[in-house]
Amino acid sequence: MTTAIQPGGSSSARPQPSGLADVIDTILNKGMVIDAYVRVSLVGIEVLTIDARVVIASVDTYLRFAEAVNRLDISQEKEGLPGLVGDMEEGGAKHKTKGMLEAAGEKLSEFVADSGQDRERQGARRSRRGED
Amino acid sequence: MSAPPETQPKAESRPKTGCYVYGILPGDVELNAEIYGVGDPPGEIRLVRSGDLAALVSEVDLSGSLGSPEDLEAHQEILDTTVTGSPVLPLRFGAVLTDEDAVVEELLDPHHDEFVEALEQLDGRVEYLVKARYEERAIMEEILSEDSEAAQLRDQIRGADPDATRDLRIRLGELISNAVAAKREEDTRLLLSAMEDHCEVSFVREPTHELDAVHVAFLVDTDMADELERVVEHLGNRWEGLVELRVLGPMAPYDFVGTAQEPQD
Repeated sequence: MTTAIQPGGSSSARPQPSGLADVIDTILNKGMVIDAYVRVSLVGIEVLTIDARVVIASVDTYLRFAEAVNRLDISQEKEGLPGLVGDMEEGGAKHKTKGMLEAAGEKLSEFVADSGQDRERQGARRSRRGED
Repeated sequence: MSAPPETQPKAESRPKTGCYVYGILPGDVELNAEIYGVGDPPGEIRLVRSGDLAALVSEVDLSGSLGSPEDLEAHQEILDTTVTGSPVLPLRFGAVLTDEDAVVEELLDPHHDEFVEALEQLDGRVEYLVKARYEERAIMEEILSEDSEAAQLRDQIRGADPDATRDLRIRLGELISNAVAAKREEDTRLLLSAMEDHCEVSFVREPTHELDAVHVAFLVDTDMADELERVVEHLGNRWEGLVELRVLGPMAPYDFVGTAQEPQD
């Protein structure tokens, strides 16, 4: 059975933005750099991408943190709760240990769903016929 | 909007299509589905073989550009799907050669033994990425409860004119930033020591967010995935309410394929 899998095709199950951020972190910053191996036949093609984020502590960062602390106080006052208890409850409710194999797994299942195929049949698969 | 290509096009007869390369695999792989890759319209994935190696490639139109969300996702999906069935050396996004002959003559053949050896080392291993982020509210509370100077500064800026207290705010933010960095280091150490017996090698990635708690890639034997899951679950319980923990994988070994050779600007 052959089935077309088109990443750009149906957009019924678009990955959440954090999924794309994860992809960007990985494939724009990691992986083998072809320039280290090939020079003559390298082709320049326009690559439009967002630069992966880099965290550099700056005054802006500090002011943002201070603002976060300020927000903390404001929301406590609004809630009228003894700070720590309220926080812990909220923190607990918000907490998620997301399922294992989340992003890649999710993508994989979309992939599989699109193709209607078993995951093992996707992509290139090492042949079992000959181990030399 | 449209910047010129990075490398100089040949003055005469620039080809209209190029050969996009996703990764390098052992020569005994087979494609058993029609899969489409990057580009608009997406090119069909093909295998270019030489010796004991094969490259996953697709044709790409050089008049367009690459980098749409679909392109980025296609690149990673293809490699992450491949790694569940075969070792693979993943290339960084955006590698284009002139044609399939160039893939053989300039990429596969000259580096044949090096790639074969790398693939042997990666056989049966996959990458998992453990990412965790502090819950802003919880981590701020924790830091304020541990650092009396920060708590004092918080009281001083409360309700005060932001401009008048700018220096105090900067000082408070700096204390928090340092405290987060120290916690990140401590929690990363905790994760690394918990994973010590369950992974071949690990790579600590740079944080990509101010509140990142851990960001570590692990190269794991495929049959050790359950161990990794147990370790992470245990940490997740320990960090409950303070940290949001995610595991991404199995993925191609992006962090373990000689990124040290990256040319510097």
